[in-house]
Amino acid sequence: MSTELWDRCLQSLQEEFPAQQYNTWIRPLKASPDSPDKLVLLAPNRFVKDWVSDKFLSRIRQVVCDVSGDISASVSLDVAGMAGAARGMRQRPVMPSRARPAAVAPIPAATPAAQPATVHAAPAPVAAAPVSFGVPESAEIITPPTVSEARESLFQMPQPELPLGHEATLSTTSMVTQAPVSERLVEVEGGVRHQSNLNNSFTFESFVQGKSNQLALAAARQVADNPGSSYNPLFIYGGVGLGKTHLMHAVGNEMRKYNPNAKIVYLHSERFVADMVKALQLNAINDFKRHYRSVDALLIDDIQFFAGKERSQEEFFHTFNALLEGGQQMILTSDRYPKEIKGVEERLKSRFGWGLTVAIEPPELETRVAILMRKAVEAKVSLPDDAAFFLAQKIRSNVRELEGALKRVIANAHFTGNAITIPFIKESLKDLLALQDKQVSIDNIQRVVADYYKIKVADLLSKRRSRSVARPRQVAMSLAKELTNHSLPEIGDAFGGRDHTTVLHGCRKIKELRESDTDIREDYKNLLRHLTA
Amino acid sequence: MNSHIPFQIPLSVSLRDDARFENYDPQGNELACATLKAAARGEGEPFLYIWGDEGVGCTHLLQASYYKAQDLKRSAAYLPLDELELMGPEVLAGMERLDLVCLDNVQAVIGDAKWEEGLFHFFNRMRQENHHLVMAAVGAPKQLGVKLPDLESRLNWGITCQIHSLADEYRRDVFVKRAAARGIELTEDVVKFLFSHSSHEMRDLFDLLDKLDQASLSAKRKVTIPFVKEVTGM
Repeated sequence: MSTELWDRCLQSLQEEFPAQQYNTWIRPLKASPDSPDKLVLLAPNRFVKDWVSDKFLSRIRQVVCDVSGDISASVSLDVAGMAGAARGMRQRPVMPSRARPAAVAPIPAATPAAQPATVHAAPAPVAAAPVSFGVPESAEIITPPTVSEARESLFQMPQPELPLGHEATLSTTSMVTQAPVSERLVEVEGGVRHQSNLNNSFTFESFVQGKSNQLALAAARQVADNPGSSYNPLFIYGGVGLGKTHLMHAVGNEMRKYNPNAKIVYLHSERFVADMVKALQLNAINDFKRHYRSVDALLIDDIQFFAGKERSQEEFFHTFNALLEGGQQMILTSDRYPKEIKGVEERLKSRFGWGLTVAIEPPELETRVAILMRKAVEAKVSLPDDAAFFLAQKIRSNVRELEGALKRVIANAHFTGNAITIPFIKESLKDLLALQDKQVSIDNIQRVVADYYKIKVADLLSKRRSRSVARPRQVAMSLAKELTNHSLPEIGDAFGGRDHTTVLHGCRKIKELRESDTDIREDYKNLLRHLTA
Repeated sequence: MNSHIPFQIPLSVSLRDDARFENYDPQGNELACATLKAAARGEGEPFLYIWGDEGVGCTHLLQASYYKAQDLKRSAAYLPLDELELMGPEVLAGMERLDLVCLDNVQAVIGDAKWEEGLFHFFNRMRQENHHLVMAAVGAPKQLGVKLPDLESRLNWGITCQIHSLADEYRRDVFVKRAAARGIELTEDVVKFLFSHSSHEMRDLFDLLDKLDQASLSAKRKVTIPFVKEVTGM
């Protein structure tokens, strides 16, 4: 009864909440079958429970009342599998927690121990050897390493030339600090050496918090405080250039701060695949397994690139199970919600959701300004508030591009010796801004919107008032208002000579609909992303 | 700096001996020039992306960076992706160990999913190694039609500069200086004739100079208007 009621409520909630909020907070809630008289929702962990309780419970309660027709319907929240911790899971307390007892969350019900991994004996494909390629004539040519040499170096990056903890110096000609990648190697049993690859500059302190990333940041801090126990795996997803990798490194750096001997390994998914291929070629798959299963924390970036790589997924699946069973922390990032990753096995996707899945959204204006100010301080340049606002308004797509634009401005300021002002930014980025202006002209907005809704631009400009044309027209007007500097009368003119009050009404209508209508909200978001990408 | 490069060299890519910073007039492109020189030294921003219409000098600048790095005994590679397209992104394997990698004509491989993913991974590996990557294409990252958003955002991460075409008077000046460096004295009349009868793209002008240089050496004649007409059929 409870399950059926909750399923009906979920349909309603899905329509009501933005996809990311729904996927992160509502979808993981399960109705407890043990309480037939009242609805007890089970959250996968305490963090989700607390957050839902704080932010969404009253609305959920309202929806339950509406759907059940019972105005006194009772809804409560609990954490799933409170008994899970006592289920005999092999817990390896390798990482000391930072003694915040209240933050120690119970182990999720769906532990790997409860779902034994299937062992597959797939034949090991051997990838083609890398081809050779061009290098400068003056470069010394040496012969490829022997198999035994290659095996020795299999899971190591090149030996560090710098002392441990070396910070790259600030360039003499530029304001940009090279990313100081940690070259730290940690010895473990069996002689397998781990290189953390952690970037020392990616810390919680250097991460600029905003509305768009506060959940992910809170979750990441929790994981850093209680590695291997609170939310495992921590799955961070979101668009490109929004700070997923930064957060991941920040957790690793924080963990290392409190346990300098922790074996923390960050790598891109491509590296995992490459290592596995190499291990298969060199008949060293056991070394590979030992290497990745002996870490205290494994941080894998952009796991969507596992798509289509079946053997790697198979190996990763077993690594994943082994790490979770051992209580070792895993942090994964992807550009999308786990269930939406194409080409990745279902069993892996379902495991990705066992811990905590959090989204990072594109930063809003204030956060973009704060990011710029932080970067300017790091580069030791003076960036006036109005100049930061101007730049943040112009570059809206993602933090990486914002950073790129600022780098260009700073480089120009250093080169010319000028102070950074709005006119100086305009001059420094004139080609970029010209491109952008072209992209967000009213003409282009009309073309993109018409294309999106599969209607003609002429329809947008026509007098037709049917819903199928009027709504896209209002969306296009709203986008023109938001993305261009044209006045309402100018926008009205561009839409078939309409009055400015019609434009104003259209903008207000879309603002309203974005709050209440999921489709319009999604459409607007997609169009905005497309036009500002 | 890497002293050992564990690779073979089966590729021959089209490098011009005279594509040096000394032979480039930075007028209008000073920032790009300074940033590329710094990259060749292994300093400054690790990712540079320059773009401009064909013939504005992107290839010259990339090759100049490559030569500069070599002069400084730094390991470097210049890779025109239009020539390497068929080899696939595997051509980039291991390249991250070089101090400087110059990827020219990036637009040639954009749109190919394998190449785009390969470039994206290469970008990450270069970043991990803290080495310099400079790229050139005929358009800004947003104009290339990159399908993989992860790659597009990375192309925009470093310093991007549009390379502007030199004004005609500067082209003439550069052309005359380049000729003089080869021991060819050009009169004002000859220069005027050449500029009124040929393309003003620097690449075409340099090709023309090569042709005249070789013909004048083999014929042991000075470069005069009749000689130019004879050699080029103008």
